[in-house]
Amino acid sequence: MWIYHPLKAGDKMGGCMKAKDIMIPFQDYLKPDDTLRAAVKLFKTAVRGEQKTGVMGLPVLDEKGKLVGMLSMMDILRAVYPSYMSMMNLGDFTWDGMLESFAKQAGYKKVKDLMTRDVVTVREDDPLMECVDHLVKNRVRRLPVLDKTGKVVGMLYVRDIFFAITKAMLEEDSGGVK
Amino acid sequence: MTQEVSTASEQIAMGPAFWIATTIFLLAYGLIMYEKIHKTIIAIFGAALLIVIGIVTQEEAFTSLELGVDWNVIFLLVSMMIIINIMKPTGCFEYIAIKSAKMAKGRPFMIMAIFSTVTAIVSAFLDNVTTVLLIAPVTLLICQALELDVVPFLITEALASNIGGTATLIGDPPNIMIGSKAQLGFMPFVYHLTPVIIVVLIAYVISIKFIFGRKIVVKEELRQRVMAMDENAAIKDPVLLKKSLVVLAVTITGFVIHGMLDLQPATIALFGAGLLLLVSGIKDPHRVLAEAEWSSLFFFIGLFIIIGAVVKVGLIKWMSIKVLELTHGNLFGTSMIVMWFSAFASAFIDNIPYVATMNPLIIDMAKQLWPNLSGVELLHHPDLMPMWWSLSLGACLGGNGTAIGASANVIVVGMAEKMGRPISFKKFMLYGMPLMIESVIICMIYVWIRYYVLKI
Repeated sequence: MWIYHPLKAGDKMGGCMKAKDIMIPFQDYLKPDDTLRAAVKLFKTAVRGEQKTGVMGLPVLDEKGKLVGMLSMMDILRAVYPSYMSMMNLGDFTWDGMLESFAKQAGYKKVKDLMTRDVVTVREDDPLMECVDHLVKNRVRRLPVLDKTGKVVGMLYVRDIFFAITKAMLEEDSGGVK
Repeated sequence: MTQEVSTASEQIAMGPAFWIATTIFLLAYGLIMYEKIHKTIIAIFGAALLIVIGIVTQEEAFTSLELGVDWNVIFLLVSMMIIINIMKPTGCFEYIAIKSAKMAKGRPFMIMAIFSTVTAIVSAFLDNVTTVLLIAPVTLLICQALELDVVPFLITEALASNIGGTATLIGDPPNIMIGSKAQLGFMPFVYHLTPVIIVVLIAYVISIKFIFGRKIVVKEELRQRVMAMDENAAIKDPVLLKKSLVVLAVTITGFVIHGMLDLQPATIALFGAGLLLLVSGIKDPHRVLAEAEWSSLFFFIGLFIIIGAVVKVGLIKWMSIKVLELTHGNLFGTSMIVMWFSAFASAFIDNIPYVATMNPLIIDMAKQLWPNLSGVELLHHPDLMPMWWSLSLGACLGGNGTAIGASANVIVVGMAEKMGRPISFKKFMLYGMPLMIESVIICMIYVWIRYYVLKI
C-alpha cells in the first residue's frame, strides 16, 4: 500500500524542492473515448493521496500512454452548461429540471470532446517556484509531471504546493522564535 | 435607355504596374476565398506589399479619397460597435427576445415569425453578425425550453438578418460602402430600399410559414416554461439602459437629418459613440474599445488599399468597359445583370470584397457613359441610381443563398454545430437559395417598375 506523505522529514525545505518531491505518483487516468459517465465515476474513486479518494481533474492518455489532455470538474460543468448561456446574461431564464436533463444528455459525451488539449505540464526536476508560476499564470489547479521521456509519472496538485508553502512559512516562524 | 459607349480599352496602359497589381489583387481574392489563411492577414499583407512595391504610395493608401482607405466606412463601423458594446451588458437585447417569445405565447411558429421580424428590424440598425449574436443565444434557450429543433430557428434568423440589414445605410457593410462611395446618405437608402425590403420580409415570413409552419409543434406544458420567464429580470443596468436608448435615439435622429446638418454618417456615429462613452460613466474604455471587431476593421482597411491599387492601374476601368460592351450600354439590362450577378456572387464569396470592387467599377462605368459629368452630378445621375440599388439588393440579399454567403450564416452554422445539430452546406442551401431567389425576384420587379416604368 502506498502511503502519502506530503512532506517527509528531511525533505529539502532549505534547498530547492522539486516537483517530484511532492507529486502524487501517477495512477489513475482517462482515455479519450471514455464517456463522461465513466469519467465522473473515476473522479469519485481516483486516489488522491493520504489514502483519500476523489479528484477534481484527471489526465487523459491515448493508447500509447501519451498525454493528450486533461479533464477537470470545470470541463464537466461546461459539458452540462449550454454554450449560449455564456454568450449573454441568461441565468435568470432557466427552468425546473434543466440541469438534471442536460446532465443526463452530457453523460454520453466523449472525454476527447471536452478535455483541455493544451495541457500545462512540468518536469519532475522542475523547482516548485516554476510549478507555482505555471499554476498562477495558466490558472490551473493541477499539473501532470513528466519524466525525461515525456511519460506522465505523477500529478502535482495546488493543495500540495500550498502545504509546502505553509510548511516553509511556519518553519520560518519557529526559526524566528528560536 | 441605351447609351453610347466609348470603347476606350486603348486608354488603359497595361504595363508592368497593371499586371503586378492585377496579380496581387487576384492572388489576394483567391486566398480569401480559399480560407486557409485568415482573410485579414491576406488583406493587410497584400495592401502593404502594394505600397512597398510602389503601385500606390503611402499617401494615396492612407489619405486619398479615390484610392485610399475609406475612413467613412471604418469610423461608422467602429462607432456602431462601441455603442453596441456599451449597450450589451444592460440586458436590453435579452429583454426584447424574451418579451418576443412571451408575446408569441410560446407558440413555435409565432416565435419563429416574431424572432425573424425582430431580427430583421434590429439588423436594419446594427450589423447582421451583431444582431444574430444577440438574438441567437436567446433563441437557443427558448428552443431548448420548448424542446424544439434549433436548426429552422437559426436558419430563419440568419436569413432575416440579411434581409433586414439591406433596408438601411447602416444595416449591412456593403450598404455603408456603397453609401460612402456613391455619396448617398441615410435617407436615400430608407426611401429607395426600405419599401422593397418590407415587401421582401412579408413574403419571407409567409414563405417560412409554408416551409416550417406545420413541422414545429410544442406540448402545452412546455409553453409554460417560456411563459414563466420574467423578461424584466434581464435588465441588469436600468440607468445605463436609459442613457443608451437616449443616445441611440439621438444617433438615429442624427442619421435621418445628417444631410440637413451637412454631416457625414460616420460623424453622426462617432458622435453617438463619444456621447455614450461620456455619459455611461465608464471609467476605463479599454474593454469597450477592445471588443470592437478589429479583425474585420483591418480587413476593410487592407481591402480598400488593394482595390485602390487596381483602380489606379486601370483594371477596374478595363472591367467596366467590358461590362458596358457586354450590355451595349443598356442600363436596365446592366442593372439587372448587376443585381443577379451580385446575388449569386455574394452567395458564394464574401460580399465585402465584391462590393469594394463593384463600387469603383460602377463609377468608372458612369464615367464612360457621361464623360462630361463629375462629382455628385455623376454619382447621382438618375440613370445610375438604379445601379447602386441593384448592387446593394443583390449583394446583401445574395448572402442568403448559401451557408457561407454571409457572416451571419457562418455564425449560426457554428452555433448549431456547438449544439450538436450541424447544418450541412446542402441543407442550408435547400432553404436559403429558394428564399434568396424569391427575394431577388421581388427586388427585380421593384427596380423595373419603380425606376424604368414609373421612373420615380
